[in-house]
Amino acid sequence: MTEIPVVLTVLLSVGTAAALVLGLALARSHQKTKRSRQRTTALEAELRTAAHHHAALTTRVQATEAEVRHLAGARVPDLAASLAHSHVPVRGPLDPAIAGSALEEAFNSVLAQVDDAVVKERVRVDAAAQAAMRGASTTIQALLYQLQSLLQTMQEKHDDPFIAEDLLAADFLNEQALRRVQSTAVVCGAWPGLTRENSHLADIVVGAMSRLTGYERVQVTNQLRDPVGVVARAVEPVAVVLTELIANALHYSHPELPVAVTLQQGNKGASVIIDDAGVGMHTEELQQAARLMAGADTLLLTELGDPPRTGFAVVGQLVRQYGFTTYVEASPYGGVRAIVHIPGDPLLTLLDEAEQPMSAMAPLPAASGSHRPPLPGRASTQHPPVSQDLRARQDLPGTADARAGDPFAEPSDAGAEADDTELPRRRRRRSQNAPERDPAAAGHPQQPYDATGPYDAAAPYDAVGPHATAAEGASASPEESAQRWAAFQQGTASGRAAAEAEAPSESGATDPSGPPSPADPRSAEGNTRA
Amino acid sequence: MTPAPRDTRRLVPAYLATSGRARPSRNTLDRLSVLHGATRGPVSGVSPQEARLLELLRPGALSLAEAAAHLRLPVSVVKVLVAELVDAGHLQVRAPIPDAELPERQILEKVLDGLRTLKSS
Repeated sequence: MTEIPVVLTVLLSVGTAAALVLGLALARSHQKTKRSRQRTTALEAELRTAAHHHAALTTRVQATEAEVRHLAGARVPDLAASLAHSHVPVRGPLDPAIAGSALEEAFNSVLAQVDDAVVKERVRVDAAAQAAMRGASTTIQALLYQLQSLLQTMQEKHDDPFIAEDLLAADFLNEQALRRVQSTAVVCGAWPGLTRENSHLADIVVGAMSRLTGYERVQVTNQLRDPVGVVARAVEPVAVVLTELIANALHYSHPELPVAVTLQQGNKGASVIIDDAGVGMHTEELQQAARLMAGADTLLLTELGDPPRTGFAVVGQLVRQYGFTTYVEASPYGGVRAIVHIPGDPLLTLLDEAEQPMSAMAPLPAASGSHRPPLPGRASTQHPPVSQDLRARQDLPGTADARAGDPFAEPSDAGAEADDTELPRRRRRRSQNAPERDPAAAGHPQQPYDATGPYDAAAPYDAVGPHATAAEGASASPEESAQRWAAFQQGTASGRAAAEAEAPSESGATDPSGPPSPADPRSAEGNTRA
Repeated sequence: MTPAPRDTRRLVPAYLATSGRARPSRNTLDRLSVLHGATRGPVSGVSPQEARLLELLRPGALSLAEAAAHLRLPVSVVKVLVAELVDAGHLQVRAPIPDAELPERQILEKVLDGLRTLKSS
């Protein structure tokens, strides 16, 4: 019986061992299963994340694609349009969320490069167009000037009224063509194409209006107190600027309305004020005009519209180059007021009307009105000392004369010379008592010219003076005439005596009548009339 | 005063004086017609060029050609101005002195001889 327990024991132990082994194996497989289940969960999560990610990426790629399409299809064309017409807005990105991203930076760089390239190309093409226009218009301008000279010569040659009238009409047409060509040339960067001599401001204004159709409507009022002239280099530019501004005034007002042009003299220069009662300008138009007239930007023909409106652009170019100023504002007459101010310091000068008379068509100063002197060469015989007056002026060194009569000279000078604050005025005429002067004194042409002395102090310029004398002289009594002729004779005699005393050896060889006496009013007149 | 030299380009054209008209309202005017002012003193209501012409004639008479030279305008244009001023009564025109009424050449020569005699004595 003992064997059975042994067997049993053996069996039991074997069984136990097997159970242990099985138990262990079971435990291990459990663990394995657990682990694999964990891994599966993790993988599943990963897979889900990946799917999400993929979806997000797809959306983003689509958005970027749309953005690029938007750039090509909308923003670049917008930019091109806005470069041509500044009021066109350039659209932003479709998704505002891309702001600050690398993508936006790239897009902006594309836009900037397109902008740069377009602008450069436009400037290049415009410069080429301007050069072509400039070349052509300069040549045409020169030809038209030749035609002008020819027409002028013909006008003097032909008396037949029908021919003369046609010549005047042709001259006017030529003048209009000239103005157009000249303004085109100036817009394209050429100079005005003509240098004139120093000219009266009133002449420039009248000359400017003569270049326009409808010049009959322009009413010029001259309120200058002195014979103000513009220096040679600025004459044609000022004329061109005035032409353009008067042209605007005429064009934008009713064909029956007048255009008022006023010439005014200020302390620091002279102004021309152009008023029309026309349709006026909006605020934006005024701003645009002011921008063009400042002449600061590079001018592009493409910005002037089609057909190009060159007026203010011409003004801007010339203002920048020659240093006078223009303003445009709403006029109290309802239209537009344009003001051209010419600074006295570099651009104005005083002209001697005896040496350089104004044209017959220039309006006389309103203040002195009809009290201006007769035209040179037509000095009336009732004013014997007039030639002497002129001669005395010519003997002067130029600077003294210029300073004495120049209202644009240093203020201290003007203040020192004039008693009151009023600017010094040039007197052209001897006062009434001049004929009674001592003939001997009148016979000295070297007598120093006193710019202010005898006129301002002793005999204030009488508004009716010279003409009262002229009228009185015309109806002179026989006694007065006799007295005058006696003085004349005496002057001639003293002049001859002086000439003979000076050059006794030459008196035999020269004409015994001797040189004309300075006191002889006929001497100057006779020479100049010849 | 000689007029401005020819090579300087004019600033103010001639057609401005008459708004382009060159056919005077009367056809009796000639280059040698003698003009004189009918009124003394300033005349109001005339254009600057007409005022200038009247002013030019204030000291005395001038021929039309001379007046044109002083105004630096073509004769044809001045004729229009003159005709208008005559119509307005500001100006009088006299026909030019005919050749037949001029002193004879022999008389002028005699006067010249007399003057030379005076001079040499």
